[in-house]
Amino acid sequence: MTGGLPAILVAVAVATPFLAGILILVTGTRGTEVWGHIAAAITAAAALLLAPTVMAGETVELLVVPLVPGLDLLLRVDGLGLVFGLLASLLWIVTGVYSGGYAAATALANRRRYFAAFAASIGAAMGVAFAGNLLTFFLFYEALTLATYPLVVHTESDEAFNAGRRYLLFSLGGGLALLTAMIWAWQLTGTLDFVPGGFLDQVAGTTLVVLFVLFVSGVAVKSAVMPLHAWLPAAMVAPTPVSALLHAVAVVKAGVFAMMRVLGFVFGPVSLAEFAGPEVLAALAAITIVIGSLIAVRQDNLKRRLAYSTVVHLSYIVLGAALVAPFGTVGSTLHMVNHGLAKITLFFCAGAIYATTKRQNVSELTGLGHRMPWTFTAFTIGSLGLIGVPGMSGFISKFFLARGAIQAGDMVALTVMLGASLLTATYLLPIVRVAFFPGTKALGGRGGRRLRARRREARPALLVPLLITALLVVVFGLVPPAFGVQYELAADIAVRIFGGGQ
Amino acid sequence: MQSNLPILLFLVPFLASMVGAIVGWYVRHAARRIALVAMAATAGISILALFRVLEIGSLHTHMAGWPPPIGIEVLLDPLSAFIAATIAVVGLIVVAGAVEHSGAELPRRKVVYYPSILLLMSGLMGITITGDLFNLFVQIEVASLAAYGLVAAGGRGAPRAALNYLIIGSLGASLYLMGVGFIYAATGTLNMAQVATLLAEADQRLVLVGGLLMVGGLATKMGLFPFHVWMPAAYSRAPTAAAAFMAPLVTKVSAYALIRVLFWVFAGGALLVDDLLLEVVAWAGAAAVVLGSVLAFMQTDLRRLLAYSSVGQMGVVALGAGLANATAMTGAIMHIANDALMKGALFLAAGMALIRFGVRNVDELARLRGQAPWTMAVVVVAGLSLIGIPPLSGFFGKWYVLSGAIEEARWAFVVALAVGSLAAVGYVFRILEPLFFRPPDTGPLAREGNWALVVACVLLATLMIVLGVGNERLVTVFIMPALPGLVP
Repeated sequence: MTGGLPAILVAVAVATPFLAGILILVTGTRGTEVWGHIAAAITAAAALLLAPTVMAGETVELLVVPLVPGLDLLLRVDGLGLVFGLLASLLWIVTGVYSGGYAAATALANRRRYFAAFAASIGAAMGVAFAGNLLTFFLFYEALTLATYPLVVHTESDEAFNAGRRYLLFSLGGGLALLTAMIWAWQLTGTLDFVPGGFLDQVAGTTLVVLFVLFVSGVAVKSAVMPLHAWLPAAMVAPTPVSALLHAVAVVKAGVFAMMRVLGFVFGPVSLAEFAGPEVLAALAAITIVIGSLIAVRQDNLKRRLAYSTVVHLSYIVLGAALVAPFGTVGSTLHMVNHGLAKITLFFCAGAIYATTKRQNVSELTGLGHRMPWTFTAFTIGSLGLIGVPGMSGFISKFFLARGAIQAGDMVALTVMLGASLLTATYLLPIVRVAFFPGTKALGGRGGRRLRARRREARPALLVPLLITALLVVVFGLVPPAFGVQYELAADIAVRIFGGGQ
Repeated sequence: MQSNLPILLFLVPFLASMVGAIVGWYVRHAARRIALVAMAATAGISILALFRVLEIGSLHTHMAGWPPPIGIEVLLDPLSAFIAATIAVVGLIVVAGAVEHSGAELPRRKVVYYPSILLLMSGLMGITITGDLFNLFVQIEVASLAAYGLVAAGGRGAPRAALNYLIIGSLGASLYLMGVGFIYAATGTLNMAQVATLLAEADQRLVLVGGLLMVGGLATKMGLFPFHVWMPAAYSRAPTAAAAFMAPLVTKVSAYALIRVLFWVFAGGALLVDDLLLEVVAWAGAAAVVLGSVLAFMQTDLRRLLAYSSVGQMGVVALGAGLANATAMTGAIMHIANDALMKGALFLAAGMALIRFGVRNVDELARLRGQAPWTMAVVVVAGLSLIGIPPLSGFFGKWYVLSGAIEEARWAFVVALAVGSLAAVGYVFRILEPLFFRPPDTGPLAREGNWALVVACVLLATLMIVLGVGNERLVTVFIMPALPGLVP
């Protein structure tokens, strides 16, 4: 479907955050967040209004402008794009509130730059979600890199600049691989439009392999597959709301989203069956899962631990897509959402803890559950969700990922997935344990009473968002209509890619 | 079609230069006013001419009514009309924007400065419109003499830089002239079109030597690696107003001249010669892309950094020309305009930073932080365009050249472009990092440049966005007709 109200909604969803960014820069010294809140509401509303049309099986198209003869700036919303767009825009609302609270609690400097870059990042993520062809996708993918750079270096410390440089080098380097692959694919096929099931069926042999390597190495940077993951832990130097929304949801999910686009809508199952590329990618993802988990266990800095956990769970999604099996794709799509919900909760908690107590290391959290019970309850829910305990949203996505592995007959992948869930438990649950059950020594006597007496929760602007996202983790795990809708969308995507074969 | 329109492009700035020099001695400010009016007139004529050419085809003038081979032919085809319009418009914007620069740096020498700028402009226009190999040499010398003078007017180190520039520039011009001599010996004519038709029957040894000499000469003028050595010193030592005018225009016009000579003179000749010439140009371009950008990254002086960046961007142009397919040529021609816009904006901004904030080195740019929001925004746009971020115009230049390289399966060139782009990320963020994120080393010194500078910078940045977003139109309307007919 082109034109009409849906097309306007697409334009609104992508343009609003950018406009908000400009407004924030141009206007106020005070109330910079207000524009962000308004824009977040509009963007999310536009994305939600698009949902019925897309779920009815239609795609919404909007041709913006031709860029190269035969190649347009084209926005198109399909199921996969909608999932990512909804995720980014809805979580922007909560993160907006949280950011305001965090900025107030930590006396954040340069707020205009911060909120403007934040808004622009969401705009770029929406553009990535709704891109109809590779060129449009590339445009927003690069914009996403550049819009998040000011956030990475926000603290203006040397550490931040090093992280920023590394981030640029990795991301824009990957962008160049993607650009080359894209031009080459265009010359070979004459199209760059995303097609369910891929458009490279005319290409074969070495060319296909080289294209695969270029495409995948281009998008593997943002999805942090080892050995291209190093920028992500370094980027944790950014303020926590940035880590929460961008480095757990928008940016890295743009990476795995890109991976799913490339595998499902550029190559497609038929082309992927011709060579061993997907197996190699799956192996890399599996290695990332194992090594990432082992590194995460050793991190004392809470945000770094969560960052490595993100690396691990992104590779879950990549692995699911690389299985080239319908259930794997379903699982990946679901995990894109469910990991996002769980991880943003965990990061929100980390930020709330830091903003309230200035503590950022796991070893300093002993007994803190008694001081900040709500925060640590949410942290517990987020952890359980990420581990994939039944009743939490993470269970459903991991269930389908595992089913995908069985469907593909890949027992190694299955073992890695299940084993890494245990590892997830080993690096998250100890935090919960020491926070709530620091042992009799710490709790007994005068010290323990003091601990309980100084009960000081995070301020409401920090607490409410993290409780909402924690609640969502449970809702999407327990309430049938909620995960039903999710599953329908994901299944529809898989059906389109694999051509009806469930 | 015969018309007098083309020659006006040369005559207006040339005569205005003479008039301005004389009147300027007697009337204060007259030199500046005459210059601005003449530049505006040239820009207006060039745009008019561009649309006429696209509408009714190439315009020819036979000087003094003598047809070639005796007379000099002046020619506006879609390519020269496009380049002329680019140069004239960017030239006008830059001169208007740099009024404050020239006032601050050359307080008592404005009388000489403005006529020199006009003389340089007339030389550049002459190079663009001439259809004669020897006249091309004359115009190069007109432009170069003005340029040497402008560089020498700068502060500390300028005379030395100008002398360097003079020696290397003259060497380049002599190489070119020697090459013309060989071609004349081989074909007996100097008119480009006639040479092109006669080359196939000419003595190939003469043609080969002549071709290599001419390409070498023009490569020197466009600052193509390894003949770029005059450029960083010249553009960093020249008065900022002069640098802001020369850096975006001089090397660009020379790049055009190289394309003109390669494809309108030699490509019609023997295959051996043009293959060899193109190959040399392409490899030199690839080397320039990599080394220019890497050297730019290693600079501390802001304007040296920008000059090396130009070396890299001219490498992209040369690489596109050397690849010689329609796609890469599109990129090469487009990138001439791109770099003119980008370097115009960046050198204007650099000049403002020096005059108002005392910024010479990249790290000192932190002094502008928060004080010059418009300039900062323009630098961001120009910088991202340099890296090649869509949808800015710089992206599309790289897109087409890269496409051309992939089309020919020249993977070494693909890698060179990628490395160059990554190095560009490095040097652009060396500028953006202090500008936006580093604490300034002193308190606020000054405010943004005057309104003329801001308007000029914003105009250039807007053009980068417009040419990027409207790139499809740019290609189909302006560049495709300008491509040499012989490439498929």
